Amino acid sequence: MTRADYCIVLFAALLLPYLYITQWTGNEAGTTASIINGNNTTQVSLAHDHTLEIAGALGTSVIKIEGGKIRFVSAPCLGKQCIHSGWLQHAGEFAACLPNRISIALLGEAPRFDSINF
Amino acid sequence: MRLRRLILLLLTILMTLTACSEPPPQVHKARLFTLGTLVDVSVLDRDEATAQKATNIVETELAFINTQWHAWRDSPLTKINRQLAQRKKVAIDTSTYRFIKQAQTLAAMSNQLFNPAIGSLVGLWGFHSDNTPVGPPPAEATIEARVKEAPSMASITLTPTTISSNNPAVQLDFGAFGKGYAIDRAIEKLKQAGIENAIVNAGGDLRAIGSKGERPWRIGIRHPTEAGVIASIETRGDESLFTSGNYERFFDFDGKRYHHIIDPRSGYPATGTLSVTVIHRNAATADAAATALFIAGTQQWQQIARQMGIDEVMLIDRDLTIYMTPEMATRIHIEIDDANIRIAGGQI
Repeated sequence: MTRADYCIVLFAALLLPYLYITQWTGNEAGTTASIINGNNTTQVSLAHDHTLEIAGALGTSVIKIEGGKIRFVSAPCLGKQCIHSGWLQHAGEFAACLPNRISIALLGEAPRFDSINF
Repeated sequence: MRLRRLILLLLTILMTLTACSEPPPQVHKARLFTLGTLVDVSVLDRDEATAQKATNIVETELAFINTQWHAWRDSPLTKINRQLAQRKKVAIDTSTYRFIKQAQTLAAMSNQLFNPAIGSLVGLWGFHSDNTPVGPPPAEATIEARVKEAPSMASITLTPTTISSNNPAVQLDFGAFGKGYAIDRAIEKLKQAGIENAIVNAGGDLRAIGSKGERPWRIGIRHPTEAGVIASIETRGDESLFTSGNYERFFDFDGKRYHHIIDPRSGYPATGTLSVTVIHRNAATADAAATALFIAGTQQWQQIARQMGIDEVMLIDRDLTIYMTPEMATRIHIEIDDANIRIAGGQI
């Protein structure tokens, strides 16, 4: 066993955990949301609580971020279905205000479902 | 000697891990507004440019159908409707003939519960608008009068070059068919472009082809009254999953909900059903069947499903009882506790 052998062992021992973490494990979801306004997409972090006002096709939609969750709290549409969708907190969930052409979706590396049927 | 074995072992594991470091195909997702709704396109591919190409194909196909078959904005369909109301014979092209012929066939198979000829009734309820109606509901006498006019696909005479009707009350509205037809066209174009693994989800209704690599595509089915999913399914190769629900388009007036799925027999929104989910290879068929079975309700859904050639159905009634065909029961995963499930017997 030479000094070079020890170096190789040490290098491999350190590299293995790094490779396992970076290549073989997925990240849990829910730290970023995608907001689509018309054909423009913006990503926002859910790390800090704040409120966003976004001008859409009909008027201003208000989106709230709180505790790692996101939701519509105000919209200029008549049906308010985007507001009724409530908080989004799991990767893959989304809500949309179609009349105002604004949607939000929670992003994540490993959402449980590839698509939602409704 | 033991140390040399350890080195060999570590190096073997190291080489195995690095050998797998070539990036696997990724799911590329795009979201766009078209067909009056939100459309999600998911494509499994190594190349992001392929995914972008797929999104462009889907957008083009859905926008074409939207332009061609829009029921209340000026379109070739509204032109046809104006002429049918005047009892005129209208010249049509081959693609229009195929579209209407397929809808007419499905309407007949559903005992006209799927009835694209009741555009006048749908408009009367306020659903011919980009905005949700606010009520009040139409006058009872007006609804009765429209129902008595009996608009139906059966009163349409269709040839490869013309369409006409002996009933001027016929006003075509393909809201329960056009989305499925558009998805079918989009998927066919994706296949022609060499895309084998994709999902096209338009406003919650979807067709999935291929798989997500080593596992099938997993689809969650929304709970009709609460947040989250009520069931899930893994697709098999090439399948469409369509749900009609009373929560999609509706308005509340005086504490009562009025949704957009109108029963052509009564002229009112169909009652008793919260949602119907249908699985079928063809998206247009699944689209029409989901509407027809929603209207058929717990009493008639098995008969209508059989007539329409639909094997996999889940119907949820207003008490949240889940009715299923045996074929659906064998593959669906219920995601809620204490579900009340009834699996249909008999031939279906």
